[in-house]
Amino acid sequence: MFGPLMQGRGRFNQETGEFEPDGAGGDYVNNLPAVSDPEQTYANITRQEYMDYVENYREFEKELIEQAQTDTSLIDYAKEDALASEERTRQIAERNRSRYGVALTPAQLQEQQRSLSRGTTLGGVQSVADARIAQRDANQRLLADLINIGQGVNRTSLQQLGSAASDANARKRAYQSARAQAKQQTIGAVGSLGAMAIMALAI
Amino acid sequence: MSSKPKKQDYKPSEAEKASAAVAKAEYEFFKANYEPLLIKMRDKAKDENYRDSIRGRASADVAQALTSNLSLGQVTNVASAGDTAAAYSGQLQKADEGAKSVKNKMATGVLGTARGQAAEAQSGLAQVSRMETATALQRAKENQALAQAKFTAGVQIGGALGMQGLSNMKQGRSFFGGTELGQPAVGDTPATPDRKLGFRDRLQAGSFGNLIGG
Repeated sequence: MFGPLMQGRGRFNQETGEFEPDGAGGDYVNNLPAVSDPEQTYANITRQEYMDYVENYREFEKELIEQAQTDTSLIDYAKEDALASEERTRQIAERNRSRYGVALTPAQLQEQQRSLSRGTTLGGVQSVADARIAQRDANQRLLADLINIGQGVNRTSLQQLGSAASDANARKRAYQSARAQAKQQTIGAVGSLGAMAIMALAI
Repeated sequence: MSSKPKKQDYKPSEAEKASAAVAKAEYEFFKANYEPLLIKMRDKAKDENYRDSIRGRASADVAQALTSNLSLGQVTNVASAGDTAAAYSGQLQKADEGAKSVKNKMATGVLGTARGQAAEAQSGLAQVSRMETATALQRAKENQALAQAKFTAGVQIGGALGMQGLSNMKQGRSFFGGTELGQPAVGDTPATPDRKLGFRDRLQAGSFGNLIGG
């Protein structure tokens, strides 16, 4: 039914400017099911895409928007770590002492405890302060990214709507123009018929 | 007069038909193969626990920085515990910050793709693994290095002092190289008072302003 060019078998030779068919390869394009009504297919796909988005990503998107405005997890983690680091460090110091077989005097132990408490408190304050800044930064960045996505979506939807409005307007004008033309034709035809009738009566 | 318009003249060309068929096939392929991947990525962005692995790495960094060259001096240094605790807090905070950044970047990448915007190609996970060192860890490392340097210097000074002291004693002098107050050193003539006194003698001489033998 179709030549090799239509069937897509072969390659274009740039030197000769000819399409050179070859025997190898399958006819992938002609084996595809034909699209009988591309307009309807496009409408179905557009509708399906939106439904898929609502089903799969709408909730996810809302959660992200919410998170960008209310998330405090970094600050919470920093507070938890500040509490846990004292015990962890004490255990490390104990393990190290047992490896070396060293025993501290009560005075040294007391001093170590003081140092630990001081380090934990100061380190915790520093970490929580850093976490507050980091949290604000992370939330701001997430919000900015979401707004960028939203702007893109907004731009695309406005373009689509503009295109639909423009098409609707063109259709309306074509309809009005066709109506006016039809009216003119009708009047013209009636006029011609009238003229012919007058001429027939006169003869 | 022109003939009536024929319906077959308004049929789509073969190129149009092929284009529509290819486009629909590509769309179906995308829906079958890429859409599930994107949904998986969405779930990963929601549920994947990056935090634990990055925190593990951060803890290992602290342990390696502060205890890889453990010495007796460090083990008995009671003041270093506070530095270590602060270093852990600081580094873990940095880890959480990195994990949050990875998670958010992945989430916006998935959403951007789903919304037809540009996809983010990298998660940034590799960048987080090269996490910057928290100030507290840096400070703890510096303190530890300083303590180690002090200890080494002490050992060197003590060693030199001991060697010199032994050498002095071998020569029949006191440990610090002097003789008893006013006594001549071995081999000196009795008429010449010994000026090479020990540390204590020199201190006394300096304190009271009276030189020996005077």
